[in-house]
Amino acid sequence: MEGLFFNVNGGYIEGIVRGYRNTLLTGQNYGNLVQCETIDDVKLQLSPAYGDFLASLPPNPSTSSLANKTTDKLVAEFRYLQAQAVGTLAKFMEYLTYSYMIDNVALLITGTLHERDTRELLERCHPLGWFETMPVLCVATNIEELYNSVLIETPLAPYFKGSLSHQDLDELNIEIIRNTLYKNYLEDFYRFVTEHPELRGTPTSEVMSEVLEFEADRRAINITINSFGTELSKQDRKKLYPEFGGLYPEGTLMLSRADDLEGVSLAVSGNHDYKSYFDQVGMSGGASGVGNMSGGGGAESKSLEDMFYQKEMEISKTAFTRQFTHAVIYAWVKLREQEIRNITWIAECIAQNQKERIGNYISVF
Amino acid sequence: MSGAGDREAVFPTRQSLGLMKSKLKGAETGHSLLKRKSEALTKYYPRSILKPVTNAPLGDFEVGKSINPLYSSINPATEITRRIDEAKRKMGRVMQIAAFSLAEVTYAVGGDIGYQIQESAKQARFRVRTKQENVSGVFLPQFESYTTEGNNDFGLTGLGKGGQQVQRCRETYARAVETLVELASLQTAFVILDEVIKVVNRRVNAIEHVIIPRTENTIKYINSELDELDREEFYRLKKVKNNKLRDTEAKDKEAASKKRDSDKENVADDPGATDILGEQEDQDVIF
Repeated sequence: MEGLFFNVNGGYIEGIVRGYRNTLLTGQNYGNLVQCETIDDVKLQLSPAYGDFLASLPPNPSTSSLANKTTDKLVAEFRYLQAQAVGTLAKFMEYLTYSYMIDNVALLITGTLHERDTRELLERCHPLGWFETMPVLCVATNIEELYNSVLIETPLAPYFKGSLSHQDLDELNIEIIRNTLYKNYLEDFYRFVTEHPELRGTPTSEVMSEVLEFEADRRAINITINSFGTELSKQDRKKLYPEFGGLYPEGTLMLSRADDLEGVSLAVSGNHDYKSYFDQVGMSGGASGVGNMSGGGGAESKSLEDMFYQKEMEISKTAFTRQFTHAVIYAWVKLREQEIRNITWIAECIAQNQKERIGNYISVF
Repeated sequence: MSGAGDREAVFPTRQSLGLMKSKLKGAETGHSLLKRKSEALTKYYPRSILKPVTNAPLGDFEVGKSINPLYSSINPATEITRRIDEAKRKMGRVMQIAAFSLAEVTYAVGGDIGYQIQESAKQARFRVRTKQENVSGVFLPQFESYTTEGNNDFGLTGLGKGGQQVQRCRETYARAVETLVELASLQTAFVILDEVIKVVNRRVNAIEHVIIPRTENTIKYINSELDELDREEFYRLKKVKNNKLRDTEAKDKEAASKKRDSDKENVADDPGATDILGEQEDQDVIF
């Protein structure tokens, strides 16, 4: 049934996104990139996919400028899609931008807290997280003003409401604020895809709930692992876990009690995928083994974060097997982000002449 | 000879000879002391005697430049160059790893966290303290790094993702800074020692090649002048003696001839005088 009217509003965009998906770099492209000797070679290899955007780069560009240009292309395509989107799809795409907005707002809050000129910070903000009232945030000079008059006007206001007061902005670590916002955002997004009358029961809902549940689990696990050895208390940590997902509620409860990596692996043992990740990472490596591509020693073995990325990419890839769904846009954005990360990584390896671990990119096509 | 060499403008007197002799002695003591100091310093830093002093070592010492193989090729056994060489190589490695770990962070976090890190750092965790080391009277600053424990300002950075990488990157950079501090300490010592050794060697050379020869020349000059004076004096005395002798002789002669003349007169004027005496001897005087 859902396919009957989907194409009235979403057909064009879906077509476009599938087209974009086909321009993503394949394993063969990556194979070529890895062979490159200089950044210029990388640029040349990327020219079929990114031609116009890389053309303006000077010879031997820095890796960060390369990353910026590739991001520009993602942004330009995203903007185009957003301009075409109507109805629930438009709302869906707004939700996609919220995660970037959270990062931007966190950046601006940091700036305001330290009484910096926040105008300079606008350039550093992620373009996808740009919203119209963002420059207004710079008007606020103190944190109370920022909270009472400005943040309320932003699309993120519901995420602040109820969980963060303006005193919190002052006192809490910015990372806790960011993660609280992100938790609220994930929950809201999840509610949107599962409960919205037009999306309930559609493939969008199915695919997106899988994606978001995975994202929630990943965040919960990451927050737990990263909070070891910091002043973050267990109660505070528990507040940062999204209240849905494959691990919720038993897994997250156990996560909130975990003291070390073994506790985490015990907590996730109910889920086959995560359990196998932890088994692969091996507990022997200790804290250093779980990080992404642990430096030096564990060069060959994949790290936990690598495997999460890998899993995310696979979920995104399978999203394309479904039709009549908004989830392909989400999947495409994620795949594209990973691609940018991969390019940056390869370019970085080439620039720093550290070819041993150049193969650590994640390619699913 | 005394005229050919460089000498000080002194009057060749016995007093200045004494002065020069004490000066020479002082110069020799100073020379040996400075030489010993220079050797002690050179043990730390051997280069300035192996290379001409004009060879400025500062040029090779830009941080971040590639490692100069010169240090190891000069004398691998000497202390400071070997340590600098080691520190530089270590720095090269550590900085490479550090830069790479930053790349890992960028990959894991998927964005720029620089600003956030800068803002959340409130207190210095990594600190440097200095102390002084005394190497034969030269004060060398020593930098010593230490970390203040329990100061982890951005421990929560990357909580959602990439936190492990951020922490590891921080550790790697802390090691890199440690190496930099070590290197800075060595290089400052190197520069100061270089300066001091240059000055000391210049002094040693000045004493050895200028002051001592000049003083010796002066002494020789004074000696020769004094000898000359002695000889002159001797000759003069001899001459005076001769003159005196001659004068005396002349006088004697004159006196003799005078006497002879007067004798003749006496003989002529009073011929019976002796006879009188002779007669008196012969006479018995009875009172």
